[in-house]
Amino acid sequence: MTAAISVSGLTKRYGDHVAVGGVSFEVAQGESFGILGPNGAGKTTTLEMIEGLRKPDAGDVSVLGVPVWPDPKRIQERIGVQLQSTSLFEMLSARELLVLFARFYKRSDAEARAAKVLAQVGLEAKAADYANTLSGGQQQRLAIALALVHDPEIVFLDEPTTGLDPQARHNLWEVIRSINEDQGKTVVLTTHYLEEAEQLCQRVAIMDQSRIVALDTPSGLIAALDADARVSYTDGTGEHVLYVKDAQATVLDLLEQARSDGRSVTGLAVKGADLEDVFLNLTGSAYRE
Amino acid sequence: MNLARFTATTVAQLKMTFRRRITLFWSLAFPMILMSLLALLFGRSVSAGSLVVAGDTRDAPIAAMVKVLDHTKGLSVHTVADGATAIRQVKNGDHDAALVFAIRNGPAPGGVVAELYTSSTSATQAGIIKGIVSGAASGVSVAATGSTPAISFSPRSVDSASLSYIDFLLPGILALSIMISAVIGLSTVLVHWRQQGILRRLKLTPIPLSEFFAARITASLSVAVLQVVVLLAFGRLAWGIHISSTAWAAIPVALAGCLCFLAMGFAIGSVVSSPETGDAVSNVVTNPMMFLSGTFIPVSAMPGFVQQIAKVLPLYYMANGLRDTTVRGLSISHVAGDIGVLLLISAVLAVVALRTFRWEPGT
Repeated sequence: MTAAISVSGLTKRYGDHVAVGGVSFEVAQGESFGILGPNGAGKTTTLEMIEGLRKPDAGDVSVLGVPVWPDPKRIQERIGVQLQSTSLFEMLSARELLVLFARFYKRSDAEARAAKVLAQVGLEAKAADYANTLSGGQQQRLAIALALVHDPEIVFLDEPTTGLDPQARHNLWEVIRSINEDQGKTVVLTTHYLEEAEQLCQRVAIMDQSRIVALDTPSGLIAALDADARVSYTDGTGEHVLYVKDAQATVLDLLEQARSDGRSVTGLAVKGADLEDVFLNLTGSAYRE
Repeated sequence: MNLARFTATTVAQLKMTFRRRITLFWSLAFPMILMSLLALLFGRSVSAGSLVVAGDTRDAPIAAMVKVLDHTKGLSVHTVADGATAIRQVKNGDHDAALVFAIRNGPAPGGVVAELYTSSTSATQAGIIKGIVSGAASGVSVAATGSTPAISFSPRSVDSASLSYIDFLLPGILALSIMISAVIGLSTVLVHWRQQGILRRLKLTPIPLSEFFAARITASLSVAVLQVVVLLAFGRLAWGIHISSTAWAAIPVALAGCLCFLAMGFAIGSVVSSPETGDAVSNVVTNPMMFLSGTFIPVSAMPGFVQQIAKVLPLYYMANGLRDTTVRGLSISHVAGDIGVLLLISAVLAVVALRTFRWEPGT
């Protein structure tokens, strides 16, 4: 089967600044794929080169076997995009906006499509409200509905939950999960929330400073740490973090040692390793959202 | 171009336009208010100003003319014994114009020569009085002799001849409101769409930019036609203005004018980066035009150099064309030149707009 997305050596420079430096990966059809990284890592630029919004300086990108450049119009009907920050036309209701966008794609069943995607994102009750009067979470739902209105094969979501409160974020996760699992669409999303990537993505590419530093399933990335748990504590010499296979033995040893040395250990914490630890291990710097 | 898509986009643009109360205010309510205000202030009683007449009123043609002027609505007529006094009173600002009669002694004795003295300090009134006096002179001439003028009078201009101020005002304000709706409407919207990333989002859909803006332009042109119909109906019903039978020809003039100002709005919206700058530039461009293009004051009543400036301003041609067709009763062939000039300026501005167009805010 043709890959949903195939990217190789993708590069984008702005003057001396390298925004994306030779990124390569493939996304399979039906997969849900995440690009995780802090702000400024190059996630959005990578995504926008695949969507056909920004022209790469070097490298190749094809979507469903079709090269995106030089004519991005060729893939437009097969992809749906939610941009990181789009406000929408004011003075049009959610339903009117969806019908209009469906018309942009020459859909003759525009009304039916609008009703369907409104239901999919759970916005039926707000269908008649002007887009600019919706809450942040509702606007994101509408933006996702607009990405779905022409029934694309691949859906791109650029930081879909940034700026939302935890409740709204969890609700949106359900919507995104159902796009991938129930409708079988390929989903590519960027996020700077580790938890979000862990929850929604079958595979995750970790980006830092314009490059991909790791790419695997969330569990594979954590397994590669070769540690099951993270033990952290503070003593007279400072703060310490240990990645260990056997947390129980480590903690017992640590406390035994401290007692015999007469040191005091505070803030002792043990937790299962997660993507945050992967990031810390790969980049040597703590993850900041 | 896809017809169903184009129609749906045009309808959406009309909805966006009409749901914004401020747009409706500027395109329909504001011109009605402005016209009513100006009409109440200047339109009826005091508009024409005050005229001082010097001459031998025992002479029949002179007496007839003074009588005609005296009966002119809004014009106050005063008589003095000699021309020098009359001219001095205009210089002092006591009156807006002086009409001095002299009995001709030369080859055609008994004829009357009339000279109209005006001051630039009351240019508006001077322009209006000039029109009234010229009209009265020809009326009296014909009445007195049937053919040869009993009073010869050479007016510099008859621009406002036979038009009352309110007749003059209606097409001017109509032109003004079409200009404001088009320039401000498109420039602010374009900047907003670019700043908010709406243009980038559109770029991801299959609708071509040309089709999207064609829909926007169609919506704006429909608004211009609505402005013509509503404001002419308002002038007729509220102020009893006689609308010529040729008024339908105002529609092509309004469309050409609207197109021209949409191109201007598009160019401004492409060049500037923030909505605030867009508003400022739009005002800087439209405000002087408002006063220099014969919207409120006849261009002929302005100093010569201003008249020259007016002739390069698109609003001048739109106001002229609308006035000729709506209240002067001139046919479409008379305004073909105005329409041509407007289309030419549209083309130039459209080139500027397309060359400066940006999808995204400047980097």
